[in-house]
Amino acid sequence: MLRFTLRRAASALLTLLGVLALVFGLVTAAPGDAAALAARAGGNRAVSVSPEALAAFRHLYGLDRPVAERFLTWTWRALRLDFGRSLVDGQPVTARIARALPTTFALNLAALFLACLVGVPLGVAAARRPGGRLDRISGFVCDALFSTPTFVLGLLLLLVFSGWLRVTPVFADAETGLSGFVLPVVTLALASLALVARFVRVCVAAALADPAARAGRARGEGPPAEIRRALRRSSAPFAAMGAALVPAVVSGSILVERVFSLPGAGGLLAEAVFARDLPTVLALTLLSAVVVVAASLAADLVTAALDPRTVRADDAPPRGIAP
Amino acid sequence: MTDARAALRRAGIAFALFPLLALLAPLVAREKPWVSGRAGETILSAPVPFDPDGVDLDRRLAPPGGRHLLGTDELGRDVLARVLHGARLSVAAGLLASALALGLGAALGTLAGWAGGRTDRAVLLLLQIVQALPALVLVIAGAAFLRPSFLVAALLIALTGWTDAARLVRAGTQRLRSEAFVDAARASGASDARLLFVHVLPHALPPALATLPYVLGSAVLTEAGLSFLGLGAPPPAASWGRALAEARNLLPGAWWCVLPPGVALFLLVFSARRLGDAFLGRRGDVQSRLA
Repeated sequence: MLRFTLRRAASALLTLLGVLALVFGLVTAAPGDAAALAARAGGNRAVSVSPEALAAFRHLYGLDRPVAERFLTWTWRALRLDFGRSLVDGQPVTARIARALPTTFALNLAALFLACLVGVPLGVAAARRPGGRLDRISGFVCDALFSTPTFVLGLLLLLVFSGWLRVTPVFADAETGLSGFVLPVVTLALASLALVARFVRVCVAAALADPAARAGRARGEGPPAEIRRALRRSSAPFAAMGAALVPAVVSGSILVERVFSLPGAGGLLAEAVFARDLPTVLALTLLSAVVVVAASLAADLVTAALDPRTVRADDAPPRGIAP
Repeated sequence: MTDARAALRRAGIAFALFPLLALLAPLVAREKPWVSGRAGETILSAPVPFDPDGVDLDRRLAPPGGRHLLGTDELGRDVLARVLHGARLSVAAGLLASALALGLGAALGTLAGWAGGRTDRAVLLLLQIVQALPALVLVIAGAAFLRPSFLVAALLIALTGWTDAARLVRAGTQRLRSEAFVDAARASGASDARLLFVHVLPHALPPALATLPYVLGSAVLTEAGLSFLGLGAPPPAASWGRALAEARNLLPGAWWCVLPPGVALFLLVFSARRLGDAFLGRRGDVQSRLA
């Protein structure tokens, strides 16, 4: 188990380093001069900047150093959570992100909680009678949810609840308090609900069809005990589901924050992208990768703890849901 | 069997409507009449007699009905004409990105499965790295530093979407490499290329090809998200994602600017996923792809 843990952790670190190199390479290889843009105060092309000022700016932000050196410096600083200063307002990137994170975390956690609260019972109910009416209906609803872009879902909810019923604010801010949070959370939860419900349905249906379930029925177990045991037997795949949910929710929350103009990390990313604020974009990209890799590492370890066979198995257990 | 075939035909026809719509949009929605008289008078106008870029500031935000079947947006452009033309962008982006993703995935999967060893591990690491980034984050980060355009968006989406195809093709190639008929072909002196292209790939590729509709669906979703964030194809090209971003600021009014592009996006992705289900002969059971 210890060897397994160490190997997984090492592989996760290697992955993160790869992410760093990939993103940094993409950014440095791209055309466009961040210094020229940023020195013009956010890309105002009407303002002309003297070459000396540009050079000073490049020097100030270390943009005149060789690429390899910049990468190493940046990686070393990133390890100490120092991402430099934003090219937009000169504030430390870490502070800007720290301000935005609580909103994003609250949104994502609430949405995940809500999705599981509804999705798990729905999946179990559908799995009890595969091909039954409930299974068909929930299958269709999940299919429809899979096919709806998250931001369209958000806009539709806004249209209905803020436009026609007028029960929620159109633009959330400090004054609207929690009521402004309801629609974003519901939108994001609906987007991940389909994944949870379908996954639980598949796992529980398989667990209900295996010999262990038949043995339980032969012993005279009632439906509640049967479901409880089926859930327990499928707990290892559930961990994998958790890992698969995280990237989906992160992607979704960028769009949801934009739709509802929430001041979260997703909104910050969109803003940084428009201003070509290199340090902020890099830091946020890395942060999202850390979250995903940590989730998948945790899922692997939980799976291994629940099912010792995975420790002995081949070095690459499938992550997420195999097609 | 015949049942499955009928389902496949239905799903195929439903999906094919969208490329058809995309091809015909310039003909169906245009201001220039189909047939005009010698003096320039209209004899037969197009079904939707408006250009997608036809700004008409006197008719801003006209509700549906009358001359504008689905109303007009904040610049007085006909919503129906813009939705019809928007299909071109979404369909093209979906087709191009998914084809590129499959090609890339198939190439890397074959390489990893056939070569094995160090090459295999390198490809697997690359796969892990790409999967560690939420697709939208990677695409946004890329789009931020390249000038937003249709091609850039399609390329970036392909760069994030190749992993499933690569996994499938790699597994297939690995399994087939040690099959008896491949050994037999090798023993009779077939070259590596012949082994691959004649004996292995015809069996290893179909599972990945069958996922094309799903890849296409999620490519369309990602492109729309990118356009919604303002990082897709630049204006004035009609795009469903950007139309929705513009409509956001009009809420809570102007629902007719939100519903048509939203429903169009949904139908395109839904029909693509249905086609994928029909290919795989199952009814939305296991699939779990998100944007």
